[in-house]
Amino acid sequence: MRGGKSLPHPRPLPKGERTVRFSPTEVGVFKAHLSLRVLTAAALILPGLLQPPAQAADDDEVAFQYSHYQEGRREMFGSVSQFNPIEVESVHGGGKFTLTDRVKFAFNYTQDTWGGATPIATLPQAFNGNHDVIDYSISPDTKVGASPYLSPGSVLFDKNLHPVQRINDPNGIGEFNGAFFRRNNQLVHTLSMASPEVRKQGDFKLGYEWDESALDIGGGVSIEDDYESRFGNINTRWDFNQKQTTLNVGLSYTHSSIHSILDHDAWPYFHKDEKYDNLTILEENGGTHLISGTKQDWSAQMGLTQVLNKNAVLEASLGYTRSAGYMENPYKAVNVAFIDPTAQDPNSSCPEAAIDLVCGNINAVMEQRPDERNQWLGGLRYVQHIEPLDAATHLGYRVFSDDWGITSHTLDADWVQPMGQGWTITPRVRYYSQDAADFYTPYLFSPQGEHSNVIDDKGRQVMLDNDSFDPEKAPHYFFDPNTGQYFDEQNNDVTDAANNGELTLFNQTQLFDRKKLPQHFSSDHRLSGYGALSGGVTLSKQFAKGISLDLDFEYYTHQGSLKIGGGGEGSFADFDYWTVNAALKVDLAALAFSSGHKQPHQAHHHPGHAPAGVMFDHMLPKAGDMMVGYRYQWSSQGGAMLNGLNAVDNPSIIAGGCSGNPCYMTPDSMAMHMHMLDLMVAPTDWLTLMLMPQFMDMNMSLRGLSTEVINLGNLNGHYGHHVQNGHETGGIGDLGMYALFKVLDGNSHHLQVTAGFSAPTGDVDIQMRRNHQTDGGFIHYGMQLGSGTWDFKPSITYSGQIEQVSWGAQASGTLRMEDQNKSGYKLGDIFQATAWGGYNLTPWLTASVRGVYTTQGGIEGEYPGAHSDSANLFINADGSPTSILKFGPMDYSQNYGGKYGDVGFGLSASVPSGNFAGNGVSVEWLQPVYTNVNGYQLGRDGTLSFTWSYGF
Amino acid sequence: MSLNELTIKILLTTTVIWLIACTPVQPWERGNFAKPQMALDPYPLQSALRAHNYGSREAAAGGNAAQGGGCGCY
Repeated sequence: MRGGKSLPHPRPLPKGERTVRFSPTEVGVFKAHLSLRVLTAAALILPGLLQPPAQAADDDEVAFQYSHYQEGRREMFGSVSQFNPIEVESVHGGGKFTLTDRVKFAFNYTQDTWGGATPIATLPQAFNGNHDVIDYSISPDTKVGASPYLSPGSVLFDKNLHPVQRINDPNGIGEFNGAFFRRNNQLVHTLSMASPEVRKQGDFKLGYEWDESALDIGGGVSIEDDYESRFGNINTRWDFNQKQTTLNVGLSYTHSSIHSILDHDAWPYFHKDEKYDNLTILEENGGTHLISGTKQDWSAQMGLTQVLNKNAVLEASLGYTRSAGYMENPYKAVNVAFIDPTAQDPNSSCPEAAIDLVCGNINAVMEQRPDERNQWLGGLRYVQHIEPLDAATHLGYRVFSDDWGITSHTLDADWVQPMGQGWTITPRVRYYSQDAADFYTPYLFSPQGEHSNVIDDKGRQVMLDNDSFDPEKAPHYFFDPNTGQYFDEQNNDVTDAANNGELTLFNQTQLFDRKKLPQHFSSDHRLSGYGALSGGVTLSKQFAKGISLDLDFEYYTHQGSLKIGGGGEGSFADFDYWTVNAALKVDLAALAFSSGHKQPHQAHHHPGHAPAGVMFDHMLPKAGDMMVGYRYQWSSQGGAMLNGLNAVDNPSIIAGGCSGNPCYMTPDSMAMHMHMLDLMVAPTDWLTLMLMPQFMDMNMSLRGLSTEVINLGNLNGHYGHHVQNGHETGGIGDLGMYALFKVLDGNSHHLQVTAGFSAPTGDVDIQMRRNHQTDGGFIHYGMQLGSGTWDFKPSITYSGQIEQVSWGAQASGTLRMEDQNKSGYKLGDIFQATAWGGYNLTPWLTASVRGVYTTQGGIEGEYPGAHSDSANLFINADGSPTSILKFGPMDYSQNYGGKYGDVGFGLSASVPSGNFAGNGVSVEWLQPVYTNVNGYQLGRDGTLSFTWSYGF
Repeated sequence: MSLNELTIKILLTTTVIWLIACTPVQPWERGNFAKPQMALDPYPLQSALRAHNYGSREAAAGGNAAQGGGCGCY
């Protein structure tokens, strides 16, 4: 909030003039102008309306945020889903900078990894949709999972189309053939499980400010495996009325494309239609079912902010969004109860009709949404300062309406209470209620058979010969039910042949008529009527030197019964979630301002800084110093599989890579991204403490090993999932905690020792989802997010510098302090030695060359339970079942570890003065020159490291 | 749609009333607006994240189309 502009100046003061002293009257003006800046800055971030809210103030700032979303278990009404609810881990980093007095630049990067069970359809509980998978080989009571069971086949209703269930209790609605029945209107979701998936989003904003107006342009991209969107926006701001009134107008455009490969495991359970479902069947790829489509959103927004009095601001906003294109969720289906009025004969097609029941058939189709959606949004926001408590309250109301029939109302309120010493506590509450979309339905009825006999134009039943399987090419026969006669295509009477068995004829059937279904339908409970209540609290602490930390918690509950005016969806669709998040913000302008000197000290950005890939290379120079840094590392593996030093072909991998077990597939490429936060503080001159949280994500593509060599058994089905989609994991990694001790700190020579621990905060029990009634098992060791053990991480670092030349060397180790982690294994110890030399190309830019030697031991132990608790296991080549749930070399612990040599080339820059003084960035590429792996492993492409740090 | 029109009317009326009714606040009286708690959105990082959660869980996600946010297909 420490801006430098003051009112009398027609132009903003340059940054360097921030440190001028103000007279008391000038301070008044200065403060007053602060309010303007805050106001106009605030006006830029109309929540949900104008461009994405970046940061409240427009001071230079860097921010990092981590968040965890955890959904509660869904009510399954008796059937037990063993799927874990949805979990999302998000990490966000962003910065905004003043490039010149009038030009501002901001960027954000966000990454989410999510996985877990999600509803894909809805069915009456009477139809036993989510039934348990029983392992009869163990006992009739052993449940090993619940399958997404979309199509229970034949079902019964009463005359009023209430679902009817067979029971053992005679107190039902009737008895037939010794079975009893009862009505059961309870609905229940069918859940499906998703393996972890990652979304990455990057966006930017470039702004230009005039004295009483501003223009921002922004854009970005969000990428998922199956969904990609690109967006751009332009926003303008005008200040009127001595800046008491601010008008914002914005326009934005989003283009999204969907590329979703349907899970072939689910194909048999629903009807797909290329005409209705944007479906392409890729024959060349084993009949892959690809749903593809595009969607475009145009949005216009307008907001007006008005200072009401010295303690209150009101903002009113209007928005319109037009969406067009593919708006379905490619993973949602709608069940259809087909009731054929001609198939209710108690003597043949429907015996239960004898006790007044109606026979039907259930099957699912993919949801159908309109290709167009017009949405309107109106909002009011009121901010009031509460003088006696120096608090502020925000009250908001939003109304939303679209031409899908959804109207929603949102009310929210918070109370921001500063508590002194930099602490602020903000409780808040929010209520949301929406009507259902016109086409929302838990499931559909259709008065036609799912399959029906084909009738020709003369009213005769079309018949096929039992020997022919292709209805197009086969000779057709015709049966006239009125005369009981059979005819062939030439109209010859073949009744005798049909009756004496010479010809075996059966009815040609056709699938239901799509045109008799409604045009649009969806069972997505997000389109149902419901209300949601949420509340939470944000605790914020402003530390010295412009650093602030926010902790935030929220609980959210979605309930049909909370809908305004009642009439919401049943409780089967209720769910809740909670989120926690932590944000760290560094206000760069405040730092420069508060530090009182124009150039923050450069001690740890001295030229000769070690290459980007080296950690623990420097300490903070004196007690009280702090540093914030960000470290990114991208490692890529690919090329040939190696055994020891040599590339090997498929037969060799099959022969040696899987310990004699079948080897089904092998990695084709793998990428790992690590985002690390570097937080350093020096309690004394000789000691620096460092905390390093990590966030990581990995993806691996796989390829099949020759099917001629092995019998895939029932992995045959599994196989396609893994080869087509690859594997992804992501989330929070292990937490590093280090103490750096200064041993020698001469002018030219520095020596320091680091002792540290890595806490096992990263997951080591990530599993793949179940396919083909077979558990996916634990994901490959190398794709778990942490070591799972407490690790000791010592290092010793020497560095030196004389004039333009710098050099250094480091030895470091990682020692596992436990015998095994909770998943039954421990990673091998690591030892690394490295040495580098650097040369200052300019006073602020250093080029470096580095050599690295690393050795890592193999994995000890392995995943528990021979990788599976299911009886439906993979099949050996000889047809016998195996308890081995391993896909390839990456699932065998002996194929980990090795000896590696790399050469690194790096550049380091530090900004000695000006707006960005105190910032340092480094980049380094590590090129593998020697790779000697244990067992069979993928080759290495290299590692890119990038670091940014800011010391103060 | 009628609700929508009603909303527009309410908003326009409010706008007109406040433009007429509000008293001029001199620049030196605007000190309270400089306080972080008085920002229209005091915690934009957190509210962006919440908006993303709401957007993937509620039908009324419209209005922040240009924020990206991806499929939210789950």
